[in-house]
Amino acid sequence: MPLTRKPPPAPPAGAGPLADAAAIARALADGNEDERWAAARAAANLPDSVPALKDALAGETSAAVREALFSALARIASPQSAEAVLPLLRSDDALLRTRASDALVAMKQAAWPYIAALLRDESADVRVLACGMVREMPSERAAPLCCDLLDAEPEQNVCAAAVETLAEIGHASALPALMRCAQRFRGTPFLEFSINTAIDRVRSQAITPRA
Amino acid sequence: MADKPRKRVLVIDDASLVRLYYRAALESAGFEVAEALNGLEALEQLLAARFDLLIVDVNMPQMDGLSFLEKLRAKSLPLSSVPALVTSTESAPQRVAAARVAGANFYVVKPLSTETLVQYASLLCGAPHG
Amino acid sequence: MVFGEPKRYFVERRVVERMLGTHSGSFEEYFARLRADLDREIEQFVNAFTINETYFYREEHQLACLTTDLLAARLKVKARGSPIRIWSVPCSTGEEPYSIAMWLLENWPHVDEHEIEIVGSDIDTGAVELARAGVYGKRALMRLPPSVVDKYFAFDGDASWRIVDDLRHSVLFTAANIVNRADTVVHGKFDVIFCRNVLIYFDDISRRTAAENLFENLLPGGFICLGHTESMSRISPLFDVARFDDAIVYQRPSR
Repeated sequence: MPLTRKPPPAPPAGAGPLADAAAIARALADGNEDERWAAARAAANLPDSVPALKDALAGETSAAVREALFSALARIASPQSAEAVLPLLRSDDALLRTRASDALVAMKQAAWPYIAALLRDESADVRVLACGMVREMPSERAAPLCCDLLDAEPEQNVCAAAVETLAEIGHASALPALMRCAQRFRGTPFLEFSINTAIDRVRSQAITPRA
Repeated sequence: MADKPRKRVLVIDDASLVRLYYRAALESAGFEVAEALNGLEALEQLLAARFDLLIVDVNMPQMDGLSFLEKLRAKSLPLSSVPALVTSTESAPQRVAAARVAGANFYVVKPLSTETLVQYASLLCGAPHG
Repeated sequence: MVFGEPKRYFVERRVVERMLGTHSGSFEEYFARLRADLDREIEQFVNAFTINETYFYREEHQLACLTTDLLAARLKVKARGSPIRIWSVPCSTGEEPYSIAMWLLENWPHVDEHEIEIVGSDIDTGAVELARAGVYGKRALMRLPPSVVDKYFAFDGDASWRIVDDLRHSVLFTAANIVNRADTVVHGKFDVIFCRNVLIYFDDISRRTAAENLFENLLPGGFICLGHTESMSRISPLFDVARFDDAIVYQRPSR
């Protein structure tokens, strides 16, 4: 029979020894791609490695290693790891911006304290990204954040992003703010369309199902 | 006379309301529309069917629009040459330049009016029918 | 999980089922419960959509893809004489790895020219024990041609069929949690991994971790097959997507 059963091969070299932040930092700085990958993966269990992870992200060229770096920061999910990722929301590199946003979402509670400030950031682009991140918070926290934004936000695109989040959350409490925003931006076709659709969705989600 | 196949547009955006808005405008104008909510889903759609135009958002989860375009342009013809209109909330010159480098044929700052959308669609892939 | 428009009715019925099952007064209330994963609602929700029953030759189109396309692609780049390694994880009670084995023996013309290692792993040690024992009831065999049953199973005369010893002893079964790197990394590198209908149960961070673990267990250019309603587009950008006649599969980029 051509099928053979064998014990798995011995664990790869380097599967064990990266037990401290210093070793991880060295591997991230000087290692080849496989070594940097192994270091990034090991770092997920070592909160002390956050500074090294942050430094490595800035210049990493391997897509896979970059993923592992973001995942490590997301798994550590400490205030330090959140703060290491936040600046990347402003990056000119679309990939870094969006993976940073995804990592912050994956951090869950660790990132939530920072979201309110992001919703008031001076950059409209960052505010738009923050509206997407709000989606992952419990709806009773997310809805008021979006509604407060809708009452004060001058940029159409940021309002649209908040409306998208409210349409998904579907909280009835958002209806007044949605209607006020529609008044404020009367005559802007996409935003009017978005708000009307969001209102419909919020209302339909409040209907009791028939068996 | 046989109907010519309609031109097919793939709308790639993580915001459902944006996709809905573009779909309504493009379908009214006679285009056939499919949707993807990030660059990865778009690549899968492109393996399954032919498209005449891509409307590509930039900031999306899992894979952003520019990474998607780079991967697309690295593939073989005819897939790699599908026209792409990149739309984004971002207007800074370096963001526009990055989109062109990635392989955008046009870049339009959001929000896109339905008229502009249909004009670009007709420009980039011809009339919806045939 | 991704469903097209034709499945709208199916999806609506399942959602209403869960709303009634949880005594939710509105979709909003149910959705809040789902987002908070109250009483493990995510798992219940996913169960309502996936067929949990396991049987031999399930998702046969992926097995066909294996012998029609994937193995040929792997052989083009592998070193001569290196074994072909295939991983079924999670393997539950063994139907999937045994199916892969039988399918290869029955359908791959080159099966005798190569050394093939098939490994099945699961987090549930009870399931792993059952897989090693290789005893199954009638329902599990329902998709198998009678000739395959005759060849690879011994009937106990009552209601059970047992995989023949030769085949049972040629599949390696281990316990492993795909979210735990210490469990996965020791299994080595594979040409093809089947990881069906489990990643959808995980939250963001566990999905990323599992995807990275599986990436690490693939040889460059190796393939991973997910369940037919699953997509890497919701899980991880690490893999390239490849389309074949019989299936869409994902691939670790070559060096």
